[in-house]
Amino acid sequence: MSAGTAAAAAEPRTLAAPAGLVSDVTAITGRAVRGILREPELFLFALVIPVFFFVVQVGALGDVAKRAFGVSSYAAFQLPISILFASASTSGGNALVLDIANGYWDKLSVTPVRRSALVIGILFGEMFAVLGYSLALLLFGWAIGVRFAGNELVGAAGLLGLTLLFGIGFAAVSIAVALATGSVRATQSTFIIFFPLLFLTPSALPRNLMTGWFETAVRLNPITYVVEAARSFLFGFDAAVVARGALAAALFSLFTFALTALAFRRRVRMG
Amino acid sequence: MALSVGASRLDSMTTAIEAIDLVRHFGQVKAVQGVSLEVAEGEIYGFLGPNGAGKSTIVRILTTLLGPTSGSGSVLGHHVVAERTTVRRLIGVALQEAGLDPKQTGRELLTLQGRLYGLRGQLLEAQVREVTELVGLTDAIDRRIQTYSGGMKRRLDLASALLHRPRVLFLDEPTTGLDPLSRVLIWDRIRELRARFGATIFLTTQYLEEADELADRVAIIDQGRIVRQGTPAALKAEVGADVIDVAIDERETGAARAAIKELQSSGELPGGELRGTERGYTLFVPDGPGNIAVLIRGLDRAGVRFGAVSLSRPTLDDVFLAATGGRMAAAAERAAAEQERTPEPAGRGPA
Repeated sequence: MSAGTAAAAAEPRTLAAPAGLVSDVTAITGRAVRGILREPELFLFALVIPVFFFVVQVGALGDVAKRAFGVSSYAAFQLPISILFASASTSGGNALVLDIANGYWDKLSVTPVRRSALVIGILFGEMFAVLGYSLALLLFGWAIGVRFAGNELVGAAGLLGLTLLFGIGFAAVSIAVALATGSVRATQSTFIIFFPLLFLTPSALPRNLMTGWFETAVRLNPITYVVEAARSFLFGFDAAVVARGALAAALFSLFTFALTALAFRRRVRMG
Repeated sequence: MALSVGASRLDSMTTAIEAIDLVRHFGQVKAVQGVSLEVAEGEIYGFLGPNGAGKSTIVRILTTLLGPTSGSGSVLGHHVVAERTTVRRLIGVALQEAGLDPKQTGRELLTLQGRLYGLRGQLLEAQVREVTELVGLTDAIDRRIQTYSGGMKRRLDLASALLHRPRVLFLDEPTTGLDPLSRVLIWDRIRELRARFGATIFLTTQYLEEADELADRVAIIDQGRIVRQGTPAALKAEVGADVIDVAIDERETGAARAAIKELQSSGELPGGELRGTERGYTLFVPDGPGNIAVLIRGLDRAGVRFGAVSLSRPTLDDVFLAATGGRMAAAAERAAAEQERTPEPAGRGPA
């Protein structure tokens, strides 16, 4: 068939039409959530280390903590740490960097999708994962007797909200590294920065018992206030502490979103 | 030297793809060095060259994934940088690496792709069904992609590029790494695409027979430059002769060259082009069957030790040889060695 004949028989118009940001984000989020649900083993692995730390800490220090720190339930004291730990185990950056490495990012990028939807959709998928980790650990805590100070549902919702705010911020870090480097190894290593962020906090004992450089480092660490706010739901609601923790989590997330935006702009710039 | 052969019919047709003096550098690496081309609507345009010649970089520029260092490109009159969103709606792209999410099923991948092109409801379902049938994946469409063979992934990638009925389709080495059967299957699908939808197809390939088989016109690219352009028949006719390859021992190449030149100057052999190759010499002569015996007798008489002698009709590889002085396989090896010495810096990603 000659080109001319073919052109004459051609469908004159493409079927493509503008989809809209909401539609784009919904489609990308749906794919991210499917990916998470299809790897339940990763979900379980992400819970193993936080639960292990929880068991070891509570087993080793539980009785001591009651006497030395005046903490009524060391399990309740440690549970927020485990939840924040798990919420930092999200794999959005890993999924994204694999897309970049295997060419699927390019495949999506030659469509008319709004570029921001490619990242927002992954972040929403990460929120789903954080919610799953948090719920699983809350149920675990509830099963071993951890209870919220006031209304159980309100306390749980508050803790989940705070964890989501923190978790989404942490997911943004790994997404930023994935976008900036395109390196699987660098993205997987993002987890390392979580250790100083989470353990230079009142993770093992209350802040008023700390001294010296450690106390200074803990005071300067914004995650300290997230941890204290999370505990506030379990040991007695304090609006000021919760507000301060929510603000710290929001600022942390804003900072990491800014990093992600910079890395995103660099990647999508046309050379 | 004329670069274009048989392009006059373009005059009466609408331009689907145009590149004007495209240049793309990656640091010190000059991947594309002033490429200009024009593809008519409804045409299958073969872009032929060895690995590292610059084919994929040009495709990435024309498909809006990469900005040019200088020069400009357009698709159906829309600038690939300034109007990239419009261009993206008009084109379908199957890139060299069939990047597909292995955790999704084929149907999920196509549905997601369709939604990003703004397809909805029954139209989306109908399109998924249509392209699935077109590429012959109906039985496997609800399986996870991680269970697909390489050929199936390529066909799914092709299907995803077709969902929105693009007017221009870019296929970047669609059959590289496939077995011969899968390759022929993809060729059939490409022909069918043009027949059914009249799509313009920009096809890059490193397979000579693929360009020969499918393309209305071919551009041959080497080291970031187009060295020949025209219909396969016209390009081969430009070589204008049969091709005699003769393998010569490395120590005998000087003597062989002298002997062949002597045969040509004495008039025993007609004065055709003589090219040194990796294995010996290639001689372009009219009436190959008649002259092969003259060549053998002449070499024998001069005491030159030679190996296999073969006669063939000119191929696109011969066009490549005539244009660049080397075979495509050698050019690919050279490009690979060059890339090892100066690895391409991490290119900016898509816009």
